[in-house]
Amino acid sequence: MRATLRWAHSDLRTHRGEALFLVLATAGIVVSLLLATALFGYATNPWQRVFTQANGAHVWLHTSSSADTGRLSSVGAVESVAGPYPTATTTVAARGTRASVELRGTPERPAVDRPLLTSGHWLDPANPDGVVLESRLARALLAAPGDTLTLPGTGRTLTVLGIADSAEPRYRPGEQPGLVWAPPSAVREPGGQVIGLRLTDPDETDYAVQRAVTVLGAGAVDEVSTWKQARAEAQGDNRLLGQVLGLFGLGALVAAGLAVHGAIGTRIRGHLRDISVLKAIGFTPGQVVRVFLIQHLAYALLGALAAAALIQALGSRIPGRLGDAVGVWQGLPGHTVALLVVPVGAVLFIGATTGLAAWRAGRVPPVPVPRPAAPLGGRLSGPARRGLGLRVPPALVLGWHRAFTGRRRSLATVARLALPLLLIVVAMSAWTTIDRFDSRPERIGLPTALTARADSGLAERDARALLERDRQVAAAYPGVEVAALVPGQTATIALRGLGTRAEPYPYALAEGRAAQGRDEAVAGQGLLDLLDVKVGDWVRMTVGDQPQILHIVGRSIEPENAGRVISTSLDTLRENDPGLDPTLYELRLRPGADPQEVADRLVTAGAGRLDVHAVPNPADGLSPLRGVVVGLIAVLALIGLIELLTAIGGTVREGERDLLALKAIGLSPRQITAITVTSTACTALAAVVIGTALGTPLAHWLIDAQGRSSGIGAGIAQGPSAALLLLYGAAAVTGAAALAAVPAARAARRRLADTLSAVA
Amino acid sequence: MRLPLLALLARGPAHGYELKQDLEQTLGSAYPQPNVGQIYVTLGRLEKQGLIEGEDVEQSSRPNKKVYHLTDAGREALRAWFEEPEDEPRVRDEFFMKLALAPQTGLADQIALINRQRRQYLNTMRQLSKLAGAEDRDNRIAHLLIEGAMLHLQADLDWLERCQEELEELE
Amino acid sequence: MSDDSTPVLRADGAAAPKEGPRSPVLRAEGLVKTHYGEGAPAYAVRGVDLAVRQGEFVAITGPSGAGKSTLLHLLGGLQRPDSGSIWLDGECADKWSEARWAVERRKRLGIVFQFFNLVSDLSVADNVELPALLAGVPPKRARAERAELLAELGLAGKERSMPGELSGGEQQRVALARALVNRPPLLLADEPAGSLDSKGTREVMRLLSRFHQRGQTIVLVTHDARLASAADRVISFFDGRIADDAELDGGTPSRRAGISGVLELRD
Repeated sequence: MRATLRWAHSDLRTHRGEALFLVLATAGIVVSLLLATALFGYATNPWQRVFTQANGAHVWLHTSSSADTGRLSSVGAVESVAGPYPTATTTVAARGTRASVELRGTPERPAVDRPLLTSGHWLDPANPDGVVLESRLARALLAAPGDTLTLPGTGRTLTVLGIADSAEPRYRPGEQPGLVWAPPSAVREPGGQVIGLRLTDPDETDYAVQRAVTVLGAGAVDEVSTWKQARAEAQGDNRLLGQVLGLFGLGALVAAGLAVHGAIGTRIRGHLRDISVLKAIGFTPGQVVRVFLIQHLAYALLGALAAAALIQALGSRIPGRLGDAVGVWQGLPGHTVALLVVPVGAVLFIGATTGLAAWRAGRVPPVPVPRPAAPLGGRLSGPARRGLGLRVPPALVLGWHRAFTGRRRSLATVARLALPLLLIVVAMSAWTTIDRFDSRPERIGLPTALTARADSGLAERDARALLERDRQVAAAYPGVEVAALVPGQTATIALRGLGTRAEPYPYALAEGRAAQGRDEAVAGQGLLDLLDVKVGDWVRMTVGDQPQILHIVGRSIEPENAGRVISTSLDTLRENDPGLDPTLYELRLRPGADPQEVADRLVTAGAGRLDVHAVPNPADGLSPLRGVVVGLIAVLALIGLIELLTAIGGTVREGERDLLALKAIGLSPRQITAITVTSTACTALAAVVIGTALGTPLAHWLIDAQGRSSGIGAGIAQGPSAALLLLYGAAAVTGAAALAAVPAARAARRRLADTLSAVA
Repeated sequence: MRLPLLALLARGPAHGYELKQDLEQTLGSAYPQPNVGQIYVTLGRLEKQGLIEGEDVEQSSRPNKKVYHLTDAGREALRAWFEEPEDEPRVRDEFFMKLALAPQTGLADQIALINRQRRQYLNTMRQLSKLAGAEDRDNRIAHLLIEGAMLHLQADLDWLERCQEELEELE
Repeated sequence: MSDDSTPVLRADGAAAPKEGPRSPVLRAEGLVKTHYGEGAPAYAVRGVDLAVRQGEFVAITGPSGAGKSTLLHLLGGLQRPDSGSIWLDGECADKWSEARWAVERRKRLGIVFQFFNLVSDLSVADNVELPALLAGVPPKRARAERAELLAELGLAGKERSMPGELSGGEQQRVALARALVNRPPLLLADEPAGSLDSKGTREVMRLLSRFHQRGQTIVLVTHDARLASAADRVISFFDGRIADDAELDGGTPSRRAGISGVLELRD
């Protein structure tokens, strides 16, 4: 044991740099995997917790006030019913912020989907104007129990009695109205009613919806929302972030495993003599294997422990969503298990790759023999010979030759170096895509930056005039957004009519063409998946009690509503309903305009009759992703560095053998150094080319797959610009050459006697 | 023996016994011990050839001893000796005779001959080693002599190996 | 064949010769080893029988390529014979796995090669102490043994040097120290002076003789006749087989006056 430790200790002293890199790389990988776990936990769990605690309803149906909801409880799959509650959609304002809300008249605390009070208390019959706000709405309005809300345009006020969590789809400014529970007396002019259904079997949701809609009559149902939608929306970006981190973490883990394997293999090849001597002295093969295994396991363990400790201690202090996620995750039940399992798993994986390589060390024969002439190599190729003849510097030719004739081993080196480079290219693509969300939102399906809603008092012409008067507004597209029941009646989708045929809305199209003629529309990926149709099909849906038939001629990129949107022009919808007035206006701003500034100006100009919100950009939720991408690139660069150092070490060692011969030919030490440097640079170049060639399509595929699954739709992927790729490639090659220069120069100037002893 | 004696006399005049002592001292114990009588005989011959000249010296309680010194002719002969390179040492033809003639006599086996000769060489080598150990460290000439003998022995042993290889092939 | 050459000088702690019937330290019977490389198979060892007694100094000579090194590797367990048996100290080693051989090599065998005796990563002190630590000797005692051996071999100041900084002769002396640190009953040496000049060869010879005088059993493979002549017993190895096995004594006195007839004075 002591002998093993002695050997391991001195081995560590000679390979300090490599050990450090391995520790750091393992730490980085484990950090990313732990963060991914945290984000996943954070994503799913809170909503699940709320749903369970609140005895949540699986289906929410918004119907007209006259619908007969009594028969719903007789639908087979329904366990219990919440409501019906009268609802009214209005706007409230607090401290200057406005929000559109759904006032729900709840006589007593519902049994199904019971709101979980976080502060204050429930409705009080003594206080007819007291209401309870949903927590996200309250946060947006900065309201606390005791505050007063005004209803603009009516002069009424409401008092906030409490704030509660709910498992329903939450408030999203401009998209989803917030939920306010009020005594039924406070709900004047109810516009409809809402019923919640709790099902015996959550998997039967589609069936239950269908049955419910049939029972109620399709014309009576305005909107359907299910628990799956609520959950997906609650998870939202966290899930994406978690997926990205997890994917990269795993990819980096594989790359690190390969790097360790390669490093050990190269080290063994350089130390064949020493291992033979050790075996001759009396080290058993098992001991030899154990030394390598334990060494590298120790490095990996150190890195993993450091990472776990770091996350545990400082994780919740990370700014932004990541910190929140870690904070919440630390309180979840599965936390300790995950904190143990993830680092142990990473260490075991690295241990497995180490074991493979170390096993080979154990098989080195105990007879120390002069190093056999390397079996690699081949004849100088024709072009190389001609190059020499044409006075191409011999160092370049020989360097090229050394890099690329050696079949398996040089291929393996290039492949192992290409893997982290490939992953870096994928990371850069992710960065560029997110960047485009910010800088060119019109390409990602967000051509307009602001949505304006006008009070019913403002006519369309006046509203448009008001909006377009602002000098930074380039165009205002009128539109409506309604909920429509799909065929099969298992869900409602958003049907939008935006723009007119004269001034069409500039959709971002990924497939097909824009909707021009009658009954033509473009749909988002989410919708196509939901209805199981493709571009070119006709779909029929019910709006209110009116059927609407549309021909899908194109697919647009839809970041809203999980892509379950079908869009056509206002004129098409007006054909069915001539009296249709636009309820919203999408505003396209001039380049360089600040949306918030323009919004404030318009609200002021509208004198309280305009409600202007910024259109949510998915990239906002993804901004932590940028920091993550940078961190991942750093970890991958470390792994690439390990691979590079391994490759350089191997090349230098093999080159020692030829030192004398090259000097005899007449090459100066500088030229001999240049051979090694060129060979390393060529290897790096090949790796960069392969990494880029494979990485760019892979990145596109990955990002598009993610887009498709989240409903935004494929086609959002943006590869890094050609200039960036060239810079990256140049940096990699020059970096490799620079790293190779020092050891190569040292080797070229070794005294002849040393070389003899190295080779003999 | 003639020219070595001339060389010794070139250092200065000496008589026979002194010459014997000089020889022993210079060459060390590895060199075959010269016979005193042989020295006197050689000195006589040299004097007859005119290369040295002797002088009688009176001694009180002993017979006269003759002190010799080098003549010009002797010096000339000496210079010629130094300038001329020597032939290589002779090959051991007696052993080779045995080896070559052993087959078909029915009296000796070639391999056995080689083995016996090898043992002899090894024993001789051993004795040379002992001599080298016993010899005074500073007597470089003596050590060089012993080393020369050893190297010759090594060469002979290598040659024995070659003989064995060739003969094994023939069988 | 003189049997009773008990060593006169005996330094402390040397391998004490067993009293009573002397079982051979090493015995081999019918060893066969063939190398299969590119081209025709090479019959390195063809049916070799060998017995080495305690305190013997055996030299194995022969032309290069005859298989001497292979024979030594077989005796040290570094290679497996194709057939035949080996007994170390009376214990049969046929069934020993590579790991078992490694354990035995720590205490029972010391091995010195022509090149590559030292681990290039470790200092001289570490190199010498390693077998002791492997054998379970407490570090303090290992250090003491190491200091003693290095002093004896004239390397007192070089504990911290790396092998790359030493000359060839110094490296071989360190290798000898390493091989002898556990006082193994048997020392195997494969061309220990093969890469040295004549001065280095003399040093090695002197050291081997000194340890032999203290009772160390040595099996030496060499093509240098001078080294071979330092042994008690010379085995001529030829083409995979033992051609001659001779005990060296002073030899019969030569017929001629003078030791070597080569130095004959011409009259």
